[in-house]
Amino acid sequence: MNDAIREQLSAFVDGELPENEAELLLRRMGQDARLRQDVAEYLALGRLIRSEPGLAGSDRLHEQIAAAIDDNQGDAGEAVHGASPSRAIRPLAGVAIAATVALVAIIALQQTPGGNELPTDTPLAVAKDVVPAIDAQRERQNQYFLSHSNSSSQLGANGMISRVVTLRFSEDVVVERDHDEAGLADESIEAAAQP
Amino acid sequence: MRMAQSQFKSVWMLAVSAVFFSAPVAADREPMDWLSHMGAAVQSTSYEGTVIRMQDGNAEALKVVRTIVDGVILEKVVAQEGNGLEIIRKGNEVHCILPDRKSVLVQEWDDQSTLFSALPSSEIRFGSEYDVAIVRKERVAGREAVLLAIRPHDGYRYGHRIWLDTETSFPLQTQLLGDGRTIEQVKFADITLNQEIHASALEPSYSTEHYTWLRQPSGHASTHIETPWKSDQLPAGFRAVATHEESMGGSDEPIIHILYSDGLTNVSVFIAGRSGELVAGPARVGGSNSFSVERGDYEITAIGQVPAMTVEQIATSMQQP
Repeated sequence: MNDAIREQLSAFVDGELPENEAELLLRRMGQDARLRQDVAEYLALGRLIRSEPGLAGSDRLHEQIAAAIDDNQGDAGEAVHGASPSRAIRPLAGVAIAATVALVAIIALQQTPGGNELPTDTPLAVAKDVVPAIDAQRERQNQYFLSHSNSSSQLGANGMISRVVTLRFSEDVVVERDHDEAGLADESIEAAAQP
Repeated sequence: MRMAQSQFKSVWMLAVSAVFFSAPVAADREPMDWLSHMGAAVQSTSYEGTVIRMQDGNAEALKVVRTIVDGVILEKVVAQEGNGLEIIRKGNEVHCILPDRKSVLVQEWDDQSTLFSALPSSEIRFGSEYDVAIVRKERVAGREAVLLAIRPHDGYRYGHRIWLDTETSFPLQTQLLGDGRTIEQVKFADITLNQEIHASALEPSYSTEHYTWLRQPSGHASTHIETPWKSDQLPAGFRAVATHEESMGGSDEPIIHILYSDGLTNVSVFIAGRSGELVAGPARVGGSNSFSVERGDYEITAIGQVPAMTVEQIATSMQQP
């Protein structure tokens, strides 16, 4: 991904990309799987930064990044009508700051345990010992998430986007059961008659 | 959003002033009217298009088709990356086709979920914890849209931006905002609204003749109960809207599930007997934050699409008198 696309994406995520450029970017993303992959990897920077596991200095790092992004987020301070002419160019400076700090963050965090689905405060020294507990905890968390999503749906608060997310979890269940020869007899997934 | 309260108020007042004193956007309709129209539009609109969804550092493109025939909702969603997941919905029956596994997972949906029903039904929507305002008009997916902002009054919940098609009130784009960033964005890259949709557009892309068909129950077995458990430090605006006892796989003991809502956002609290396997602290699951803590003989987990501090405060403040 080149710098121009990277800057476009940052502006887009911040809601600051001019509409005609946003349209083009989205159309390209809709048609170009490679670009979507690049975008995912780029956005993963943010995920990596946000899941910092409490390394020395990372709190300050996070604050710096957050401050750089906040300066350009424009949510609460959103222009209602007649946006400032400088609005379009402001994000670029912020992106440059955030990108620089992010680079430092990647170097600092590259040797930390991955997986933002896990608790982020597990000490490295004991991580090996708690793996079974983490697996059990992950499974329980997934069950809680599915139950929460179902309950929220009853209130009309979750749409199919959430359903897609929960179905991703269901996929994992299917994969696990397929590896287990007794899987189809499992009470949570039953063989269904083919229509 | 890391902004001092006074700054926030100033900016907010400026925004409100601009709404009232500049040329109004969609002067014939109030913000809440737009949301009401949106609620009707997501239920009744037929559409076909490409949705880009970005969440938690992942970008995903989905081809979506939806229509209603004789009152029956027909939908098809095809993931454009990964394993080519397809979701085919006919009424409440949903077929989740996993081509790489040569499997079809059959589910029953007992609700009226639609792609963009991201807001609760109007009767419980919004206490005093949010403001909703019309921001401006923009173009999304080649169509004119009005941008609505739903702004929380504190840091316990996220804000929303919703771009509604001015002609149909259908949401063309949504953003979930908080912690100084866009947490989730869903946007149509292209869309056609209320055009005739051919039946073939709703058929599976794969022949599933030799696939393994699996049926997943519609949900966990649950029973409504009364419970003495409650939070003694519940963030403003949240209230318990449902309490159930649920059975879940891997546990013989029933689990108490309390659902809290502020009218727009939901947080679930699960209270289970101590298993010794709990990893206390924060976690992320499915784009939501969770926080787990031990309390005596119990393990408590709060989970929801809210800031981390919200689930932490709720989980750690659960008490049983």
